[in-house]
Amino acid sequence: MSGQLERAHADVAPVNLEGLGKDYGTFTALTSLSLGMQDGTSLGFLGPNGAGKSTTIKIMTNLIRPTRGRASLFGIDVQRDPTRALARVGAVIETPEFYGYLSPLETLAYVGRLRGMSKQEVENRSEEVLKVVKMGAWADHRIQEFSKGMKQRLAIAQALLHEPDLLVFDEPTSGLDPRGMAEVRDVIKSLKGEGRTIFMSSHLLGEVQEVCDDIALLDHGKLLVQGSVRELSRRPGVSTYQATFTGPLSDGELDTLRSFAHVEQVRRAAEGAVDLRIDGGEEAQAEVLRTMILSGLRVSGFRPLGSPLEQLYLSRILESDRI
Amino acid sequence: MRASAGAQVFTVTAYEIRKYLRGRRLLGMLLLLGVIVALLLGLPPALGLKYATDPNEFVASFANFTSILVVLAGVLFAADALVSEHEKRTGYFLFPNPVRREVLVLGKLAASLLVSAVVVSLYYGAAAVAALVVTGSVTWDIGLSYVYALAYMTSVVGVAFLISSSLRTTTSATVLTFFLFMLIFNIVQAVLPLAKVNPWFIPTAAAGIISHVLSPTTGFRPPNGGGEFITTYVPDVTTSLIVFTLYFIAASLLAILLFRRRELSS
Repeated sequence: MSGQLERAHADVAPVNLEGLGKDYGTFTALTSLSLGMQDGTSLGFLGPNGAGKSTTIKIMTNLIRPTRGRASLFGIDVQRDPTRALARVGAVIETPEFYGYLSPLETLAYVGRLRGMSKQEVENRSEEVLKVVKMGAWADHRIQEFSKGMKQRLAIAQALLHEPDLLVFDEPTSGLDPRGMAEVRDVIKSLKGEGRTIFMSSHLLGEVQEVCDDIALLDHGKLLVQGSVRELSRRPGVSTYQATFTGPLSDGELDTLRSFAHVEQVRRAAEGAVDLRIDGGEEAQAEVLRTMILSGLRVSGFRPLGSPLEQLYLSRILESDRI
Repeated sequence: MRASAGAQVFTVTAYEIRKYLRGRRLLGMLLLLGVIVALLLGLPPALGLKYATDPNEFVASFANFTSILVVLAGVLFAADALVSEHEKRTGYFLFPNPVRREVLVLGKLAASLLVSAVVVSLYYGAAAVAALVVTGSVTWDIGLSYVYALAYMTSVVGVAFLISSSLRTTTSATVLTFFLFMLIFNIVQAVLPLAKVNPWFIPTAAAGIISHVLSPTTGFRPPNGGGEFITTYVPDVTTSLIVFTLYFIAASLLAILLFRRRELSS
């Protein structure tokens, strides 16, 4: 019986969004988003400002209602039964404010009690999570003295307190200094290592690439692409490479470059350097490099401009803007 | 691992009370209360006047200021209770927890009522002790006046919660609550009799029972003995208590409904 229950439990997707949409008057913040996540995976939710990322997360955490569609966490509709749906979820939405008159320990006790944790559990876990976010030394200080970064750390601590199965992070490193950002990324990676499901929105592509298995790219309230980071990084598409040469290229040599297969655009970048927009995947890039060498161009370097994910992001967003 | 709704209400109430205990508002309110009591006790002898010898009359001078005290309690301990979660963005950490909005409203409401009741109780406690010292006795009417004050307080807190659930800023909620009870209701209460309508359904009019039970005068003559005797309308006790109850229930239910529907989208 318990085995059956466990299997049924495992079959339920931690996140399932079906045709989710949100309108504010005549403005559509989210068109119709359908998205699912498997248990134990980590999804980076990417998109420019106003893409609909925060709107999606706010619907998922019952801060706002969808105009259409449905958001379910572990198979439970967030709007119909928010208390059950959010029971196994820890969330950090934007940079929340806390009650200034409380200390981190008291804040965690408040959240813990609301979640039904015992006094002993709250005490033990509070100590642990404050240590994880490097706030142990501030455990008894009033939050009104805290900086934005410290509040962000506390927000992460309260999200971890009840050892949730699903963590929803909206820009988790926002407001942190570079060291703090690295520490938070390490925390998220260790949570991922523990098999927790992570749904994380971020502007920082490198952060997503470092932390997440999958990405979903959103713009103008629409899902542009979803897949694994590895797969999408290899997917053929238009990407920009910079080729450097032993000396400056003549106009004729630039025309030769333009005539190569897969080369869409050639632009002089600096003395002896040229940016090439290449249409195609790794094979196309290798062919362009081979053709340059066979043509007698004295190539001294050939490197992508930005990560493959960044290139995919930019090309898809540009495409979406054109539409 | 889930807390019952009752346990959650208790938790919210306990933390809201902690807010008032650690904040300056309760302290300010207690200081104000001390000033009022000091003035009521210190001014008569300073001006060469004698205290009333009847305990009801003695406490009536306190009861005349009860309405103001109750409104101030509503303004300080209720008007921003809900709106602040949105305006100060504390809702971003509180709302994603598995706790229903109505549980939050009920917990905060209980805290506001308790803290306001403490203020009213201290005021009546001081008045009763002073009455005992000065007149040598206290009466049941003083107790009734206290109960009526608590009843009026519930209606003020309920309406303050309704305002708090519907406005966007703590300042506007606080100001509107204050002016509603100190100005708007009083104006309506004064104008309605001109149209031959008794303002029994206005809570500030119903609050007349707080001092009327101690000093059942129906009006006053203007200073210097000139002019006509001006009558003041005070509804009967049952009507007034029903009015307070209805205001409290209707306003609280509406506050829950509005707070549930309100989105945190700023």
